[in-house]
Amino acid sequence: MLRVEGLSKEFRNARGRSAKMVQAVKNLSFQCKPGEIYGLLGPNGAGKTTTLRCLSTLIKPTSGNVFIDQYNVLEHGQIFRSKIGFLTSDMKLDGYFTPDYMMDWFGKLNKMQTSEIDERKEKLFVDLKMTDFIHKKIDQLSTGMKQKTAVAISLIHDPDVIIFDEPTNGLDIVTSKAVTDFLVSRAGAGKIVIISTHNMTIAEKLCHRFGILVEGELKEEGTLSDIIEGSSWDNLEDVFFSYILPGGDHV
Amino acid sequence: MFKDSLIIMRKELKRMFTDRRLLFMLVVLPLVMLPLMYSFMGKANKTRRNEINSYTSRIAVCSGEGGGEVSDLFFQSLELLNANIETTDLGELDSLKQRVIDKDLELLIVMPENLDGSILDNSVFDFSIFYNSTGDYSRFAFDQVDMAFAQVNDVIVRQRILASGMSEDLLIAYTVNKYLAPDETADLAEEGSVMGKLIGVMMPFFIVIYLFANSMKVGLDSVAGEKERGTLAILLVNQVSRLSIVLGKMISVMVAAIVGAVSSAIGLKIASRYLIEMTSESGASITEYTMGSMAIIQFAIVVIPLAILISSLVLLVSTFARNVKEGQGMIMPVYIAVMVMGVTTMQTGDIPPEWMRMTPVFNSLVVLKDIFMQSALWGNIFFTMATSLLVSAVLIFITLRMFNDERVLFRI
Ligand SMILES: Nc1ncnc2c1ncn2[C@@H]1O[C@H](COP(=O)(O)OP(=O)(O)OP(=O)(O)O)[C@@H](O)[C@H]1O
Ligand SMILES: [Mg+2]
Repeated sequence: MLRVEGLSKEFRNARGRSAKMVQAVKNLSFQCKPGEIYGLLGPNGAGKTTTLRCLSTLIKPTSGNVFIDQYNVLEHGQIFRSKIGFLTSDMKLDGYFTPDYMMDWFGKLNKMQTSEIDERKEKLFVDLKMTDFIHKKIDQLSTGMKQKTAVAISLIHDPDVIIFDEPTNGLDIVTSKAVTDFLVSRAGAGKIVIISTHNMTIAEKLCHRFGILVEGELKEEGTLSDIIEGSSWDNLEDVFFSYILPGGDHV
Repeated sequence: MFKDSLIIMRKELKRMFTDRRLLFMLVVLPLVMLPLMYSFMGKANKTRRNEINSYTSRIAVCSGEGGGEVSDLFFQSLELLNANIETTDLGELDSLKQRVIDKDLELLIVMPENLDGSILDNSVFDFSIFYNSTGDYSRFAFDQVDMAFAQVNDVIVRQRILASGMSEDLLIAYTVNKYLAPDETADLAEEGSVMGKLIGVMMPFFIVIYLFANSMKVGLDSVAGEKERGTLAILLVNQVSRLSIVLGKMISVMVAAIVGAVSSAIGLKIASRYLIEMTSESGASITEYTMGSMAIIQFAIVVIPLAILISSLVLLVSTFARNVKEGQGMIMPVYIAVMVMGVTTMQTGDIPPEWMRMTPVFNSLVVLKDIFMQSALWGNIFFTMATSLLVSAVLIFITLRMFNDERVLFRI
């Protein structure tokens, strides 16, 4: 079980003469159960990446906390990192090495045995259809291949919680489907999956529950039917627009 | 924890030692730089000397009245030189001077009047010898003529002494090293220490330069470069401690630094052959310098902590900087300061001032010089090691604090 409780994050924006505080995320709370895919939806600058970075221990919340079972992100950073697989689109891989080498390397850093690493590699390479290019330098791979590699590396230690920031951004529909199918299978295996996206079609197909994030605030939370029933719309996209388009019901 | 550092280090080293361009910069360049430089300098020097020696100087001589026997002596000594002698008379003095100015002549010699007469009355006579110091060969011709005339002087003095009925032994007041036993040499410098002194003066400078250059090459890329390329975050979300990351990177930077230092040391050793060639003409009995095993141990005790210090410093800057370029800008002043320190140690005498021995980095340079001159004291060696390690610990601690600070690590 993953719980986000009253999460807020402020950034000091030192541009210009005066330092201004930016409230990127405001008092965010939601939960996510094993076997569930949770979709964090929001327009550009809504605070999705910031939220997910807080979950991943990369940045510290200004207030609030995040729990995985009995552990919290403020006190158990190291344990937290052992339990999560985290990926954002601005995380790149060292292009000098091959996917195979990087998998081994991250496996060792995650204190896995060689046999364990080999087993895990085998499974991920097949599941993500990567076998053709695992011995090529990452520099020489296409965007989709790189993304698959990044996905595989973030999951080398078989984490209980998978946190992906816009995992299908920039991918063609085939690769995109490979990644989403994979996420569905992970959730099926009892993992907690949290993704952020602004693609409503993918979200609607993939996620069991949603949070709509606008300007750092969680505006809607629940299953598809929860969200649609409480509104005058019959699909997620229209509900989403009603929060962000000029003249929308909630603007 | 240390195991993680080693895993991180191994990847960085794999990168270093499989990337040919990087390998060239880190190992080959420091190795060949000095030998190339010195062999080039040595060759240029030699050709220059050969040129001068084979040059036929043009010398004009204005002989005065009443030359006779004595002036013949001087003329004979001139004929032994590799020179074209033209004899003229005093009337042309001004035009001859002009030819010296125009470098049409190397030398103009004006003989004194009545040479034979001054021999008889034991008076001192004076030559005027005009030269042009801007001409390459003029000074050289002057020195040659000066030496040749000095020999004639000895002959004349001998004649004067004999003529006054005294013994020519009067000419010699003392001798030097005439009665040394056949197996005895006058130069009591320890085997290799002459070269050691030559190397000792330069070695610390080059070592610190390459420690720094290689640290910068690898170290700035290892954090600032990773930040720039966005490859750092993926490491930070894995279950490896920040300390392991910092140490792993520090050790790999240090390895690069030491590789550079050792390469340049070997390079300087090779270069010393050319140095010997260049200096051996000056007569010193210079043998090639070989480092004893004790010197190598002392060298390691000083250089490894110094490498740790410099790599920690570079890593700190690398962590603080937004990107490699900013890092370079920040580290440049430090680099220059260290170079100045290197030059200063080169120029201080055998006994450096006390504050140099107390200052980190500076004291390493000074002690390295001691080691090459075979005069290092263990107390100084260990004190230097301790200061380097202490400063490194502080630098690593600060770097670690930065690694836990998202404002430093994610500055955009
Ligand atoms: N390091 C930072 N320093 C200052 N402000 C930041 C920083 N990171 C994010 N912000 C600000 O926080 C807000 C939320 O940014 P965030 O990246 O979380 O949005 P997002 O929902 O991921 O957007 P997108 O869909 O464009 O990726 C933005 O206003 C952004 O300018
Ligand atoms: Mg984002």
